[in-house]
Amino acid sequence: MSILTTLELLPLIGVLALAFTRKADALLAKRIALGFSLLVAVVSLVMAAQFKSAATGFQFVESRSWIPNFGINYAVGIDGIALVLILLTTILVPIVILAGWNESEGGRWSAKTFYILILISEAMMVGVFAATDVFLFYVIFEAMLIPVYFLIGGYGRGDRAAAALKFLLYSLLGGLLMLAALIGTYIISTNQIGGTFDLTKLSTMHIDAPTQNWLFLGFFIAFAIKAPLWPFHTWLPSAAKAATPGTSILLLGVMDKVGTYGMIRFCMTLFPDATKTFTPVIITLSVISILYGAFLAIGQKDINGLIAFTSISHFGVITLGIFAMTTQGLSGATFYMVNHGFSTAALFMTAGWMVARRKSSKIDDFGGLQRVTPILAWSFFIAGLSALALPGLSSFISEFLVLAGTFTRYPIAAIFATLGIILAALYVLIAVQKSLHGEVKPGNESLTDLVLREKIALVPVIALIVLLGFYPKPVLDVINPTTAVVMQHAGATDPAVKAGK
Amino acid sequence: MTTSTHLVYLIALPLLSSALLLILGRIADKWGHLLATLVSASAFVIGLLEFFAMRNRSGAARPVTQHIFSWIAVGSFKVDASLLLDQLSIAFVLLITGVGTLIHIYSIAYMSHDRDRRRFFAYLNLFIAAMLLLVLGDSYLNLYVGWEGVGLASYLLIGFWNQKPAYATAAKKAFVANRVGDVGLSLAIMIAFTQFGTVTFSGVKEHAHHASPAALTAIGAMLLLAAAGKSAQFPLQSWLGDAMAGPTPVSALIHAATMVTAGVYLITRSNFIFDASPTAQLMVVIVGAITLLFGAIVGTAKDDIKKALAASTMSQIGYMILATGLGPVGYAFAIMHLLTHGFFKAGMFLGAGSVMHGMDDEVNMRRFGGLAKFMPITTVTFGLGYLAIIGVPPFAGFYSKDKIIETAFNAGGLKGILLGGAALLGAAITAFYMTRVVVLTFAGSKRWDEKAHPHESPALMWIPMAILAVGSVASGFLLASGNAMVNWLQPIVNPLDHAHGEEFLKPIVVSILALLVVAIGVLFAIIKYRTVPVDAPTKVSIFTKAARKDLYQDSFNEAVLMRPGQRFTTGLVFTDNSIVDGAVKAVGFSLQTIAGWIRNVQNGYIRTYALVMLIGLLALIATVWVVTL
Amino acid sequence: MSAPVLNYALLAPILIILGGALIGVLVEAFVGKALRASIQLPIALGSLVLSFAFLWRSHSSPSLTAAVGSVSMDPAGIFIQGTILVLAFIGILLIADQDNFTAQASAIPGSEEEASSIATGKQQTEVFPLTLFAIAGAMLFPVATDLITLFVALEVLSLPLYLMAGLSRRRRLLSQEAALKYFSLGAFSSAIFLFGAAFLYGYTGSLFFNDIATAVGGNGSSSTFLYIGIVFVSVGLLFKVGAVPFHAWTPDVYQGAPTPITGFMAAVTKVAAFGATLRIFYVALDGASQTWKPIITAIAMITMMIGSIAAILQRDVKRALAYSSIAHAGFLLIGVIALNKEGLAASLFYFVAYGFATLGAFAIITMVRDSAGEVTDLNRWAGLSKKSPLVATIFSLYLLSFGGLPLTAGFIGKFSIFSAAYQGGNMAVVVVAALASAIALFFYLRIVLMLWFSEPNNDSVTLVIPSILTRIAIFVTAIATVILGIAPSLLLNPATTVATFFH
Repeated sequence: MSILTTLELLPLIGVLALAFTRKADALLAKRIALGFSLLVAVVSLVMAAQFKSAATGFQFVESRSWIPNFGINYAVGIDGIALVLILLTTILVPIVILAGWNESEGGRWSAKTFYILILISEAMMVGVFAATDVFLFYVIFEAMLIPVYFLIGGYGRGDRAAAALKFLLYSLLGGLLMLAALIGTYIISTNQIGGTFDLTKLSTMHIDAPTQNWLFLGFFIAFAIKAPLWPFHTWLPSAAKAATPGTSILLLGVMDKVGTYGMIRFCMTLFPDATKTFTPVIITLSVISILYGAFLAIGQKDINGLIAFTSISHFGVITLGIFAMTTQGLSGATFYMVNHGFSTAALFMTAGWMVARRKSSKIDDFGGLQRVTPILAWSFFIAGLSALALPGLSSFISEFLVLAGTFTRYPIAAIFATLGIILAALYVLIAVQKSLHGEVKPGNESLTDLVLREKIALVPVIALIVLLGFYPKPVLDVINPTTAVVMQHAGATDPAVKAGK
Repeated sequence: MTTSTHLVYLIALPLLSSALLLILGRIADKWGHLLATLVSASAFVIGLLEFFAMRNRSGAARPVTQHIFSWIAVGSFKVDASLLLDQLSIAFVLLITGVGTLIHIYSIAYMSHDRDRRRFFAYLNLFIAAMLLLVLGDSYLNLYVGWEGVGLASYLLIGFWNQKPAYATAAKKAFVANRVGDVGLSLAIMIAFTQFGTVTFSGVKEHAHHASPAALTAIGAMLLLAAAGKSAQFPLQSWLGDAMAGPTPVSALIHAATMVTAGVYLITRSNFIFDASPTAQLMVVIVGAITLLFGAIVGTAKDDIKKALAASTMSQIGYMILATGLGPVGYAFAIMHLLTHGFFKAGMFLGAGSVMHGMDDEVNMRRFGGLAKFMPITTVTFGLGYLAIIGVPPFAGFYSKDKIIETAFNAGGLKGILLGGAALLGAAITAFYMTRVVVLTFAGSKRWDEKAHPHESPALMWIPMAILAVGSVASGFLLASGNAMVNWLQPIVNPLDHAHGEEFLKPIVVSILALLVVAIGVLFAIIKYRTVPVDAPTKVSIFTKAARKDLYQDSFNEAVLMRPGQRFTTGLVFTDNSIVDGAVKAVGFSLQTIAGWIRNVQNGYIRTYALVMLIGLLALIATVWVVTL
Repeated sequence: MSAPVLNYALLAPILIILGGALIGVLVEAFVGKALRASIQLPIALGSLVLSFAFLWRSHSSPSLTAAVGSVSMDPAGIFIQGTILVLAFIGILLIADQDNFTAQASAIPGSEEEASSIATGKQQTEVFPLTLFAIAGAMLFPVATDLITLFVALEVLSLPLYLMAGLSRRRRLLSQEAALKYFSLGAFSSAIFLFGAAFLYGYTGSLFFNDIATAVGGNGSSSTFLYIGIVFVSVGLLFKVGAVPFHAWTPDVYQGAPTPITGFMAAVTKVAAFGATLRIFYVALDGASQTWKPIITAIAMITMMIGSIAAILQRDVKRALAYSSIAHAGFLLIGVIALNKEGLAASLFYFVAYGFATLGAFAIITMVRDSAGEVTDLNRWAGLSKKSPLVATIFSLYLLSFGGLPLTAGFIGKFSIFSAAYQGGNMAVVVVAALASAIALFFYLRIVLMLWFSEPNNDSVTLVIPSILTRIAIFVTAIATVILGIAPSLLLNPATTVATFFH
């Protein structure tokens, strides 16, 4: 049994354990959830240690027949991109649990249910990145929505039910289009290589251009809704405003990466020609997302809404990097997926703590926090710096790689995208000034600073943001070989240097 | 090329101490400032040792490099964390750590009453580290990290008292304006990577001549944009005045001596780009000329002593930028003026701080006057700085500034006359507004109210001032004698190789002209400010009005960028809710409408149902008929 | 000419059901009211089990000539019959809860008679034999291989249903109105069917599917007779499966009929009707596919869309499920136009997945009540999860299965039938189906949202603890829905092996 399967099962065992606890005993539920998520994290690190970054192709593979009638297998395996995203997941979940220790309070149901949903989500997130059978991927891709639906609708704030429904409908619509494309791909495989959903086998097929375009769109729209690309983004802000910080972190930090991950893993690998055909459109949409998201972030009154729109802007950067089809763009985009995960986590955690203390998510209700709660204020500030991609922090490296990689092929797009860094400075610093600087606003005088638990949750995130900014090599070394494979598969090569050598 | 293993400490030490002070928090309150000062001083010592070591090596062996680790390596994009200490950067290292240390010492006393003094020193160390990285990085990307690092430090220090909303806003303004410049730097790096496949200085220098003129001009223009942002040059100058919100030592170190001169460093460092692109050079000189006049004019109308000095800084950096645009010979003079300016401007800022210290943080010069007899040391040190900046021989400014004016004239043709003229005019105005500052502050009758008890500052403050004053006196001569600076920088900007055309004016003529206009400026100021009203006169020429409002720079930015931007944003927010999201809602709505129609047909009458069936039947027959036609 | 030879072994399953029905009639005639229910139920269930046993034996020895070529007991047919028996068994478990049925159908609504018969608890139980007759018809319907047998089966299936629809104990007028509508429109469609049958006979000179097939395949198959025949026969069948625009009866009847009967109709009738439809198109009219494919495709698309869209506005859970079943008719038609082995196999799987979820859903509806009986107003279902998380969970499960979410049987059903259609070269229909599913999901999820995320608005609504039989029904269907979603091969393998019609 592959260690990946272990990673998927462990949280589910945790779910079983939770199932046998009493509803009333919230503390026990929390401890069990934290324990299992930590265990998962450790196992995933062990896996990372065994991972051979030089080797191309999937590692830790396992394949069992599941639905032979359609050549469907339970097939898992990871390459560099999948590995870093799985690590992102397994590291963030325990942090989320610790950071939002009391999040489940004020929900419709017990803490027990909350953590069951969280652990189910974790298992599925690992599974979705590990799946090498397209059908398996699709199944998890869709099933994953249900726990999140209940996490938002059951434990969220404000108009949580509507937000949950909106989120689910958007995603499912995309999913159904993907289903149609998935079936199409399968049928073509039955005619060419015998019906299969095996990613590697499928990628060897020759599909005529028009068909490729349709299938590509089917997959791409689903992914563009997931990793919200303008104009498919409107579900995200409402979800982020309604969800608990923890849920938001899992949703924006990890699950939405499935979208950008899917673009690389499926769109580019299965339909290289169509990818080239649609690149101009997608590049344009990405640039629009970057600027549009940034402008709306500036215009937000709600702190969670602000974070949501910054994410839309950053997802624009990631998509831009992917479809720039250059080594730097692709590696940068992948690295950005990780960095955005941590930096969004930091933002949602700190903002969540601010909201929980102030009992309001309106930016204008805060003010002068730097004097009242210095540590919290600093944490939020650092998270903000990471969001505006300050050099020395990890997000800068990825963002710059994307921009530079894009510039070599699409200079104009890169120039517009670069303007985004001015807006980034604005949306972060405006929020920072309103909430942290100035005189202490009434209602904030007696706010308490971070407690030890919160500090413990935050430290690893900040540490990673800083360390990966100084020394990204470990991650880049894992990503680069995979990038090379994807590039070569998509038949893309970096533009030649204009002057010199 | 020599390799070293300890350059990294120059950066690591202040960085670590800064982090330490921030993380330890209140625990470090007692000794934080001492540690920070010690670290800064030790960096200075390392700098000195390196400098002498370099002096003792010859020619090609002088530059020192240290490869620390491979930072980013993705495909052909390879950037190492590695440092380069050459003749150019050592000059900056000494300036940064030297002046930096003096200002650390000064601040121990200046900030002694502030509850957050430790945090202040942490920021100072952070700045030192970032600034050193800026000048020591061996590639544009390393430089970029330092570049934004100093921006962050500047942001933190301007907003050090950010409980005052105005100060917080000033900090934000500075950062954003700098970010505009950073866009330029980013793009310059991207173009360089696209063109040359590398972003190291050496690599770009090696291949620069392969690139098309257009590409070089593009890079040059983008670098200039970056420089304008960081060095408060036109059109990105507006933030520097507000930046005076920061504690005065900050203004002295960051917004006078070091950070704001980073633009000059960047252009000098990229000389191989600009030398190859006359168009880019032309842009540079234009920006420089405009800014030096702009700053000077603004300086004439400021009553806030720090803002007056800030305007002066802007103008002086204009001189340096102008010089860098004048080709190989210019660079050396630019750096020379940069160093002398580092001394006298820092000195004067510390002087201003000392005055404020004695006057309960009053900054309005109209409420000073006759302070000379209350704070003699301050007066002397400030006075020496004053003589240096207006360019009286043998003080520092005389050597550095006259060289720039001379070179400007020698640029040749109409261009030369215009630039030289501008520089000369600037000198006159400088003389005027600096004299005004001195007169208003130290001379004349006392205009402060009785509550103030002006007194000389403690030794901890005046000793640094004194040291800087010495620099204001001597540095010019030292750097100029025997063309020392030019020869020192020769390997980097090789001015001597480019023997330029015949001189338009003899040096001596330039000096005489300069002294003449300076004298006029000084006299004019002295006459004009024999009596000074405590409240700024309101009935003044539109020019004065304009100068007081910084030539409407803010009004312009607000009208052209800020308010439209805000309107645009609100518009987008509306669009997102009503149109983008509305489109989705519309789909749902239309479905419901259709559902409504269906419900109407579903009226419960058998006859209707039967009719529907019949119609369906006929429709099918029709279809089949059409299909099989 | 000699008497026709009948293979009784193969016909046994059907005959046993008919026998059970006759015994039921006798019981109804001679046993006292008080005892009837307790006797009828074992008879009904017993005959189902017995019938299934015989069916199991016969599945090894399939044959075209069970009854002189009029009935084809081929593997596919046997599979469908088996499905019908299983669904019918669960259906009867629901019907067994007599509280849903009028005590005396003949009594005028609101009359003394009715009141007394309810008071005395003396219950007429003709519903059991009626159901058995219907089942017999349903079993014959998909295996009939000549047009007359097909028509007879259709009527044997339909006539009892017309009555059963009118048996509701509460809101009897609505119930009887439903019965009347069902009857008259059913008669209308039967007439259309017969008309079409006549034309087909006129064109091919035979009533047997095989002869029709050869005739159609033979002479280029271009004749007005054939076209009219095909269209009219199709309409007859499309009415039974409830495809748009021949669906209008469905909502009214589903709403008016007693809920267990609605469940029975929605599951058993639909399977039977689709069985017959598949057979006639796959076997008899295969050669004329270029004629009927376009119209059936169009019907399928319209049905999916209208069904899904109309469901959005429904406030009555039974009407809503009626439209849902219409939408599913559209999806099942995709299996018809696929016209390949995969299409047939997919349909067979879909029957089971859909049938189970439908019966389960209606079973749950019987549990949600207030003093006036069942509560079908969706707004009053709000916050049901507060009253019973378990019930809410199971109902949501059925809805998600209807919506075709992964890890439910419904998803596999949709997936396999879509891919069959794609295989058959109908990509357009797949895309439309995807969009229709999205719309349908909107309305399924709105219900889920109501169950879980809205506050209960009035507490007069209660969840009655159902009889053990109903509980078994719910349990079985729920488990099946999950199992078939996770390990579909259990059913897909057999379905694939049997997926051929003899001819």
